[in-house]
Amino acid sequence: MEFTSAASVEEATALLVEYGTAAQILAGGTDVMLQQARGEISAGVLIHIGRIPGLVGITGNGSVRIGPLTTHRSLARSRLVLMTAPALAEAAATVGGWQTQAVGTIGGNVCNASPAADTAAPLLVAGASFELTGPRGTRTVVGDSFFIGRRQTARATDEILTAIVLPHHPERTGDAYLKVGRRSAMEVAVVGLAARLTLDVDGTVEGARIAACSVAPTPMRIAEAEEILQGSRMESEAIAAAGEALTRAVSPIDDARATAAYRTRVLPGLLARALGVAAARAERGVG
Amino acid sequence: MSAVTFTVNGRIVTLDADGADTLLTVLRDRLGLTGTKEGCAEGECGACTVLVDGVPVDSCLLNVHAVAGSDVLTIEGLATSDGRLSPIQQAFVDNFSVQCGFCTPGFLMTLTALIADTPTPDEVTIRSALSGNLCRCTGYSTIVDAVMAATGQTERS
Amino acid sequence: MTVSVGRSVVRQDADPKVRGQAVFGVDFELSGSLHAVLVRSPIASGRIRSVETSSAAAVPGVRLVATAADAPRILSGLALADQPLFAGDVVRYEGEPIAAVVADTVTIARAAAARVVVDIEPLPVVASLSAAVAPGAPLVHADWSTYRPSPGLPDWPRHDNVVGEMRFDSGGVDDVFSTADVVIEDVYTADRQYQAYLEPKSATAVYEAGRYTIHAAHQYHFNVRDRTAAALGILPSRVRVIGHHMGGGFGAKLDVGLEPYAALLARLAGAPVKMVNDRVEDLLSCNSRENAIIRVRSGVTRNGRILAREFLVDMDAGAYAGDTVFLTSIALFVAEGPYSVDRTRVVARALYTNTAPTGAFRGVSGTYLYFALERHTDNLANALGMDRRDFRIRNAIDAGHTMLNGQVLEDSDLLRAAFDAIDEVAPWETLGRGPNRGVGIAATVWLTNPMPGAVTLRLEPDGSLGVVTGAAEIGTGAVALGVRQVAAEELGIDPDLVVLTMPDTDAHAYDGGAQGSRTTHIVGRAVQHAAAGLRERIFGQAAKLLDSGADELEITDGRVRMVSDPQRTVTLGQVAGAAMFDGGPIISSGSYATPAPKHDPDAATGLLFATFPTPTYHVHVAEVEVDPVTGRVTVLRYLVAQEVGRAINPAGVMGQIQGGVTQGLGYALWETLQIGDDGRYRQRSLEAYKLPIALDVPRVEAILLEHPADAGPYGAKGVAEPPIVPVAAAIANAVADATGGSIVRLPITPDDVLNALESSKE
Repeated sequence: MEFTSAASVEEATALLVEYGTAAQILAGGTDVMLQQARGEISAGVLIHIGRIPGLVGITGNGSVRIGPLTTHRSLARSRLVLMTAPALAEAAATVGGWQTQAVGTIGGNVCNASPAADTAAPLLVAGASFELTGPRGTRTVVGDSFFIGRRQTARATDEILTAIVLPHHPERTGDAYLKVGRRSAMEVAVVGLAARLTLDVDGTVEGARIAACSVAPTPMRIAEAEEILQGSRMESEAIAAAGEALTRAVSPIDDARATAAYRTRVLPGLLARALGVAAARAERGVG
Repeated sequence: MSAVTFTVNGRIVTLDADGADTLLTVLRDRLGLTGTKEGCAEGECGACTVLVDGVPVDSCLLNVHAVAGSDVLTIEGLATSDGRLSPIQQAFVDNFSVQCGFCTPGFLMTLTALIADTPTPDEVTIRSALSGNLCRCTGYSTIVDAVMAATGQTERS
Repeated sequence: MTVSVGRSVVRQDADPKVRGQAVFGVDFELSGSLHAVLVRSPIASGRIRSVETSSAAAVPGVRLVATAADAPRILSGLALADQPLFAGDVVRYEGEPIAAVVADTVTIARAAAARVVVDIEPLPVVASLSAAVAPGAPLVHADWSTYRPSPGLPDWPRHDNVVGEMRFDSGGVDDVFSTADVVIEDVYTADRQYQAYLEPKSATAVYEAGRYTIHAAHQYHFNVRDRTAAALGILPSRVRVIGHHMGGGFGAKLDVGLEPYAALLARLAGAPVKMVNDRVEDLLSCNSRENAIIRVRSGVTRNGRILAREFLVDMDAGAYAGDTVFLTSIALFVAEGPYSVDRTRVVARALYTNTAPTGAFRGVSGTYLYFALERHTDNLANALGMDRRDFRIRNAIDAGHTMLNGQVLEDSDLLRAAFDAIDEVAPWETLGRGPNRGVGIAATVWLTNPMPGAVTLRLEPDGSLGVVTGAAEIGTGAVALGVRQVAAEELGIDPDLVVLTMPDTDAHAYDGGAQGSRTTHIVGRAVQHAAAGLRERIFGQAAKLLDSGADELEITDGRVRMVSDPQRTVTLGQVAGAAMFDGGPIISSGSYATPAPKHDPDAATGLLFATFPTPTYHVHVAEVEVDPVTGRVTVLRYLVAQEVGRAINPAGVMGQIQGGVTQGLGYALWETLQIGDDGRYRQRSLEAYKLPIALDVPRVEAILLEHPADAGPYGAKGVAEPPIVPVAAAIANAVADATGGSIVRLPITPDDVLNALESSKE
């Protein structure tokens, strides 16, 4: 196994071109090193991007730009994220323990594209876009088109993720991320659910976005549930109907962590809870 | 194999390592620092926790080349050079926080980082910081006691 | 006043452990060591067609590849000789060793092991208890009838996939069931639990001059010696086992693990061989707590008297008998629990399946047997409209209770004190109030393992006291605190002057291992016996130095002095120094094993474990809250009243309670090894196998009830094992109370909780 460290985005993409399918990008490494040890991936060369300047940090002025090397711990503690997209901070705070959060990156979390990726659902409800840079230049992929299959993203093998951008959100918007696991922490999501609401001054839902992880091959938006909530005043019937739509839209599996039936069963109650938190935040104008 | 240079417990080391080698393997098998333990090699148990530039990481999942130029602190580097235990080490001794002791180095490294970050953590903060460290013997209470004692929040028992 | 006993002195081994200096089994390495890994069966049942080793052997750095052909053709086992070192003809569980690769490094050994080609013809898999006893079930061991018990054991009833059956019947049970006011029957199941010690199993061995030396991190070194010798077909005296610090065991490191393989491979390779399990193979091949099905039926009167009970248990031994066959006996001691029952029938079977062999785990089968018994007890109380705690106290055993084996429990009224003690701290009627909250209670009687132990005490000229013993410090503090403090007390010296040895089967007399809370109790008694002789020599020597009679002297604060003239004194060190050339070093040895309590050995058939020595009494109370959306259970409060005889080190005992309860919470709520239809575990890593983390566990409120009895040193009975025993029962009862529904299996899943909530709404 070879290891090479890229000093710049250009160098990284050049290395990706050079090594082709033998290359594996390494950032924090909490997924890659494990997958390598288990033989789930067998790269010939690790291309370390962890020292490329400019890929780390969170900046904002209206929209929020998140460097892909930003760690989960930084995300969870970022004032900017806590003010504009607390669901993302909440999600980052549930990725493994401190040791994982300290080195694991948001770029790695989304590019690894696990069906259970915690940060994916909050990014989807935030309307995040993903900036990919390769030998042909830089392009932007909007959230819904980024996750294209189980452990598959829109990123081409010679591209690297160079930024995640959260667009400026309207006033009176709030979000929330709730995660179901067996223990209080250190869980791969049995179900993860993000909700984002924008409320009118009289409490009417002007915008609703719902996304979930661990319920389908990819993290996914739940458009049917969003449509039901749109224009509602969060009546219990609307929430129940959205919950039902949610259960219809998902296609969970049985695994060692939980059954498909359990994953489906918790969704309506979880949605009601997430909407409650998101609405309260919208009223306060947080998130 | 390629060369990597970093600092371990204040000592500069340079060695050749495979591109897939973890920091844990290098610490244990190359540098003889066996105080850092391998409990699972999957980032679940925290027995291999070391500090890299002050940050607690699972050395079993950290590529050794990624620590080039960094400052690594292991359990062997926690006591002072004249052998005096650090406050959290001493508190573990005094508060019955050690049973089998296999998880202990990892806990001490995480807690060293916690106390540096939060000088007087409350109980939930302590337990939360320890999510990535498994202990099968103590049931954690005496470990919480040790942190409270080491941070001056209780009388030392 | 004591100088040591009853005080929470700190342990000496904490210092090297917090420095990272303590050398554990995985850290120990002999110079020139080679490294070996096992090639394990990928499937649960099959016939081996061929094992192709040549391409693995050709890997540079590989020293040898061994298979069944290189091992003695011997079957051995803890209870029953049914297990080969390497599978030769058939494989009986996923993870069964088929071959081993010895190489210069672990990395090379692993890479080469992946090149050993094993061709196995799959055979039908016996994956469950029901499949094992289904009509026409495939036999896990076609040759079961040719197997013989291990030396020293009489044979017991067994047939086909039933590797052990214990049966007791007082008579008249069925008559009661046909006439009783109320008859209730329940069926419970429990999954496997992995001991999940943080240090994976390891072994290092070297072969020299016809003897094997094994460096182990183990609970029971003499068993490693004897079992390795049996597996290799040699005398135990040709094996020496040396202990090192161990990172937990909880029962899984009582039987041999990698040690016989390391020994065999060291001889074949002509060099030291080190082996360490990786976590996944450790989990998959571990002798976990067995899964079980428990059927309980009781006939009671309307006013709450228990007239009859039937207790039927099937335990999964896995592919080999291991020690699970012994555990069938535990059912005899739990069938009634700490309650009076007029008539009883107990049948407990251990069954072969195509799964990893199961074995001892703290509390052994008591954990799920008490879960079943105490869930059922709740159901009886509820059916009669009686308060669950009152029902228990009404039926609680009194002093002089006779167990089903005929053994009399002289002090069994101590149980009532335990009920009272908790109520003083947390009145029963105040707990579990509020929506989605519940309270559970469970009471148990548990034993102290009676196995023998021994010690030699050495008084040194520097005033220190050497405690030379084969007892193993598993982490509990049984040696580091218990034995050490008893020894210090006996000589009236500071515990810091006590020097403890690491186990060495060449140097020490037999020790029954770190199991069943025996070490402080048994070895502490041995220390007392040895100390009596030691004092005699000290007084004899000191009498010469002080020009007094030996019977005019006393020991206090590290000195010997005249009772009548306390100014006339010599230090213990001076006494030891003087003795060196006047009679020789001051040493004294002592031994102890708990005498078997009086009982009827023929009370039951197949009873391999006939008594319940040195019993202790326990009541646990749990308060929980369930989340109606996710079904998650939060433990709000956990209370323990534990009768300990005497707490040698109270803080150490509290640590055992907090740790034992935590393992019990894991068992009740999160931990499971589920077995698929293919006989393979579904949870295959510590990510999937959920151990409790710090946020999951409440601070246990424990009350130590001290009733010093003659049995133990300063009255100390076993304390470390019992705290896990009632936990699943208390938690399940609390969850059932919180949900208003039924909880019938372990662990309690969120789905179970939601089902229970839904059923109670209907």
